[in-house]
Amino acid sequence: MKAILVKQPGGPEAMELVELPVSQPKANEAVVKLTASGVNFIDVYVREGRYKALPPFVLGQEGAGVVNAVGADVNSVKNGDRVAWTGVMGSYAEYAAVPADRLVPIPEGVTDPQAAAVMLQGMTAHYLSHDTYPLKRGETVLVHAAAGGVGLLLVQMAHNIGARVIATVSTDEKARLARAAGADEVILYTQSDFEAETKRLADGKGVNVVYDSVGKTTFEKGLNVLRPRGMMVLFGGSSGAVPPFDLIALSQKGSLYVTRPTLANYIATREELLARSGAVFSMMAAGKLKLRIEHTYPLAEAQQAHRDLEGRKTTGKLLLIP
Amino acid sequence: MKAIRVQQTGGPEVMELAEIPTPQPKPNEALVKVSVAGVNSIDGRFRDGSLRTPLPFTPGQEGAGVVTAVGAQAKTVKVGDRVAWSGALGSYAEYVTATTDSLVLVPATLSDQQAAAAMMQGLTAHYLANDAHKLKAGETALVHAAAGGVGLLLVQMARMIGARVIGTASNQEKASLALEAGADEVIVFTQQDFEAEVKRLTGGKGVDVVYDGVGKATFEKNLNVMRRRGMLVLYGMSSGPVPPVDPAKLSEKGSLYMARTTLAHFTATREELLARTSALFAMIAEGKLKLRIAKTYALAEAAQAHRDMEARKIAGKILLIL
Repeated sequence: MKAILVKQPGGPEAMELVELPVSQPKANEAVVKLTASGVNFIDVYVREGRYKALPPFVLGQEGAGVVNAVGADVNSVKNGDRVAWTGVMGSYAEYAAVPADRLVPIPEGVTDPQAAAVMLQGMTAHYLSHDTYPLKRGETVLVHAAAGGVGLLLVQMAHNIGARVIATVSTDEKARLARAAGADEVILYTQSDFEAETKRLADGKGVNVVYDSVGKTTFEKGLNVLRPRGMMVLFGGSSGAVPPFDLIALSQKGSLYVTRPTLANYIATREELLARSGAVFSMMAAGKLKLRIEHTYPLAEAQQAHRDLEGRKTTGKLLLIP
Repeated sequence: MKAIRVQQTGGPEVMELAEIPTPQPKPNEALVKVSVAGVNSIDGRFRDGSLRTPLPFTPGQEGAGVVTAVGAQAKTVKVGDRVAWSGALGSYAEYVTATTDSLVLVPATLSDQQAAAAMMQGLTAHYLANDAHKLKAGETALVHAAAGGVGLLLVQMARMIGARVIGTASNQEKASLALEAGADEVIVFTQQDFEAEVKRLTGGKGVDVVYDGVGKATFEKNLNVMRRRGMLVLYGMSSGPVPPVDPAKLSEKGSLYMARTTLAHFTATREELLARTSALFAMIAEGKLKLRIAKTYALAEAAQAHRDMEARKIAGKILLIL
C-alpha cells in the first residue's frame, strides 16, 4: 500500500510517499481502507518532532473509510462498515490498523470526507461547548481564532445553543467567515485591543467563558475579560505555551476557573466517544453544522498540504484522498 | 467605646484594649452594637501585616449584634434589628459600622453566638459545596483540614448532599472530629501519605473534587488524586502560597480544572448574600448543621484568643463576647 512515512522529523520534505505492506489487524483492531484523511496541526507538530513519535512512522491521526479486515476479538465493527476515527496514528495511508473501540460508525447523510474532516475539530468544539463549560442560552462567550478549524465549528455550536458569541480574528476575510458562522461581534485583534473591546461589548461585566487555543499572547488579557466566577478554557497554544501563572491572579480577578483540556479526556470511554461523534454527525446531517472543506489533495501531495496549512492561508479543512 | 486597637502590626501582643470614639454611620451604613465577634485566621493576617490596612485599626470582620443607628439611605435594616455580618473590618469593638447591604437579619431560632460563628466559615462551606463546585450525590470529595473551621462545616454539608467524603487531619483527635461530622474516611496525613491513601480509597480512580484551604503543602499531590476532568477548589493557603502553575500540568493530569476562590465573589450581590445566609441559618436551626463553638473570650482577652488560635490547639470556633 501507499503511505506517507516520516523517517526523521523535520520540515514538510521529511514526508515521503513509500510502498509498505498492507497493515494487518491485531486481535483488537480493524483495518480500514481509507477514503479520506484529515490534515491537522498536530500532524505538523508530530512531523517536526515537537510531539514525540518513534520514527519511522506513518503520519496522520484522523480518517474515514471502510472496514476491510477485523481481528479475532473485534465485535463492534464488521467488514464493509463505514467508519471514522481520530487519535490513532497512521491515517496518511491507503490502509490503517485502528483499535476497533476507537472506530465510530458514519451515519447516512454524512459523507466520508465530511466525517474525516469533523472528527478531531468537531468533537473538540463539541466537548468545549457542551462539557468543559456547558454553555447556556444567554451567556456570553469569547472565542479566539474564531475563523480557525475549531473556531468556526465552536462559533456555530455556541450560536446554536443561544449564547452570544464575541469572536477574535486577524483579517477582514476571517471576520466575514466568523460572522457567517454566527458570531454576534467580531474583533480584529490586529486593529483593536481585544481586552478593551470585549469589556466594552460585554457592558463592562465580562464574559462567562473564554475559549482560547492561542495561548501565550492571549491568556493574561483573557483573564481580564472574564466576569467573576468565569472560566478560562485553554485548549491549545498556537502562539506558544502559556508560562506558569500565579494563582492569586485567579482570586484577585474574581474567583476565576482555569482548565486545560484535551480531547482524549473527553472521549476516554467508548460510550462517550459514540455519544459525542453521534451528536456531531447529527448536527451535520441536519445541516446545523457547516463544515468548510477547503481543499483536497492526493496522498502524494501531503507535503504541499502541510505547506499550505503552515502558511496559515487556509481557513477551512484540508483532506488527503488516498 | 471599648475597642481592640492595632497601632503597629505584629504578634498577638499588638492588640490592645483602648477607648475610642464610637463611629458614626455613613448614609449607606448602620451602626451596630456588637454582642459577639468571630475570631478568624484572616484577623491574624491583618494583625501581623501580611494583609494590609491603614494603621491604626480595629481588627475583626465578623459578628452579630443589634442595629442602634442607621444612615440616611439605609433601607434593608432598621434600629433594633438583630443582625450578623462578615467582611466589616472593626468588629472587635463595642460598636461597628457596616454597609447595610452587608447586614443580614438573624432569625429568632438562632442565638447571636451561633450567627456570628456561622457567617464566614459557614458561608464559605456553603459556596464551596454548592457553587464553587456543585457537589452531587454519589460524588467523592477530598476535604483537607477537615477538622478546621470551614472543614467541619463542609464535611457536614457534603454529607447532606450525599457525597462521599474523604477528609485529611493532622492527628487522631482531629480525625475523630471529622468522622463525627460525617467524613466517610479520614487520613491522618502526618502518619500516611494522603496521595497514596486517596488513590487506594477510590480504587485508583481519584476524587471528583478537592477542597483545599492549605495551599503550598498539598498542591502538587492534589493534582494526582483527581479523576480525569476533576476540580481543584483552592480557597485558602494556610501553609503558604502555591508557586506559579504551568497550565500544561492540568492537561497532563487529565484535563483538570482549578479555581482560586474567595467568599466575596460568592456573596457579591445582596440577593446572593441573603439566599446563602438563609440556607445556612435554616440548616443550623433545623439541627442539620452543628457548629462547634470551642471557646469564648472577653473582648479584653483578644490577644489570648489569637495566641490560642495560632497554636492550633483549639478545634472549633473562637468568639469574643462583648
